[in-house]
Amino acid sequence: MPGLAVFPLAGQRGVRAAGEVGLTTRAIWEGVLEQAVREDDDVYYLELSGVTFVDVAGAGALAAAAGQLRDGRRFVVRRPPPALRRTLDLLWPGQTGIEVSTS
Amino acid sequence: MTAAVTEPFGPLDPFAHPALFYRDEQEYLDGTLPFVHDGLDAGEPVAVAVPGKNLALIRDALGDAAGAVRLLDMREAGRNPGRIIPGVLRAFADAQPAGRRVRIIGEPVWAGRSDTEYPACAQHEALINAAFRGRTATIMCPYDVARLPEHMVADAYATHPAVIHPGSRTARDNDAYAPEDVVSRYNEPLAPVQDALTFSFVSDSLSHARHVAVGEGARLGLAGVKLDDLALATAELTTNSVVHGGGSGVLRVWAEDGYVVCEVRDEGQLADILAGRRPVPREQRGGRGVLLVNLIADLVRVHRSDTGTTVRCWFAR
Repeated sequence: MPGLAVFPLAGQRGVRAAGEVGLTTRAIWEGVLEQAVREDDDVYYLELSGVTFVDVAGAGALAAAAGQLRDGRRFVVRRPPPALRRTLDLLWPGQTGIEVSTS
Repeated sequence: MTAAVTEPFGPLDPFAHPALFYRDEQEYLDGTLPFVHDGLDAGEPVAVAVPGKNLALIRDALGDAAGAVRLLDMREAGRNPGRIIPGVLRAFADAQPAGRRVRIIGEPVWAGRSDTEYPACAQHEALINAAFRGRTATIMCPYDVARLPEHMVADAYATHPAVIHPGSRTARDNDAYAPEDVVSRYNEPLAPVQDALTFSFVSDSLSHARHVAVGEGARLGLAGVKLDDLALATAELTTNSVVHGGGSGVLRVWAEDGYVVCEVRDEGQLADILAGRRPVPREQRGGRGVLLVNLIADLVRVHRSDTGTTVRCWFAR
């Protein structure tokens, strides 16, 4: 059963995640996002090149967390799986606090 | 449960949902243009979502006024009938200022809709009444009565509380209005397909189920966004089975004409007839899985019974 592993990013505020976000890993993902909301830096990086899939609830947790960021703060989501971009575009268009980066 | 669930087909007022019967282009324009112009003259938001050929007719006849109307090709925006309420009708209506009547021409049924699509079309037309009752909106649905088979015209009487007959400008109430009957009559069993790839899943095998579906979808010719969409739909439907549908289910994937079909069968009861057809408020957590499936699939069919729920979705290859 694939899990979700999370590592601190060297030199930047944020995490690198690897695995999948789904029903069985949702709690880990939500924990990451709750911690991120509590941080102070303007930008919090979510490096997701090692994440192969995010389901709708996982995208929803990200949108909800982004909605809780204080003004001026944002998530930079790096290289997310296509499913996450597609879900955000369809269900949370124009969500503030999320910047998707493909590099 | 909310009233919308327990009494879905109560009084519609102030919502109006007439069918417009037409036999040729002239009758089409005679019926649709005054509806659009009356709305524009009154400062009401107007949208037209009809098949491309009819859309061009209306656009050309409107001339400069077309710029003030939201125009959508229903063959694209409403290819999946389950997408029309959340993705077209409510998407437009909800974006307008409150209090002002919203006018929409929506033509979800056309000659050439397949036998597989049609039950979803008829249910969609019936469910518009439940989705819009009490809202200040008029949705007028043109029906090409010269080309559509008789049973589809009969269904139009059952799904619309009023009908505008060819050459008439007046909507007449009709006694045949019975939207609940249409919803249940087209709740047709979806018999298991032989020779489909079949995978029984539980919570621990959700990820495996998705990989199985994606592998088979790719083998059957899906690629790119369509394959990503198959992955999303499979994940949402199988997760629903685990969370709401008794903890397990059966996934099947097969090819059918130009489509890859994905089906999830479980022992859950899907009581909400508008499940997956309501836009979800931004602040609400959860409850968007079936909505997403409706937005991305080329067709979604659902069968509900006392013993379980089957959801089948089609993706063009």
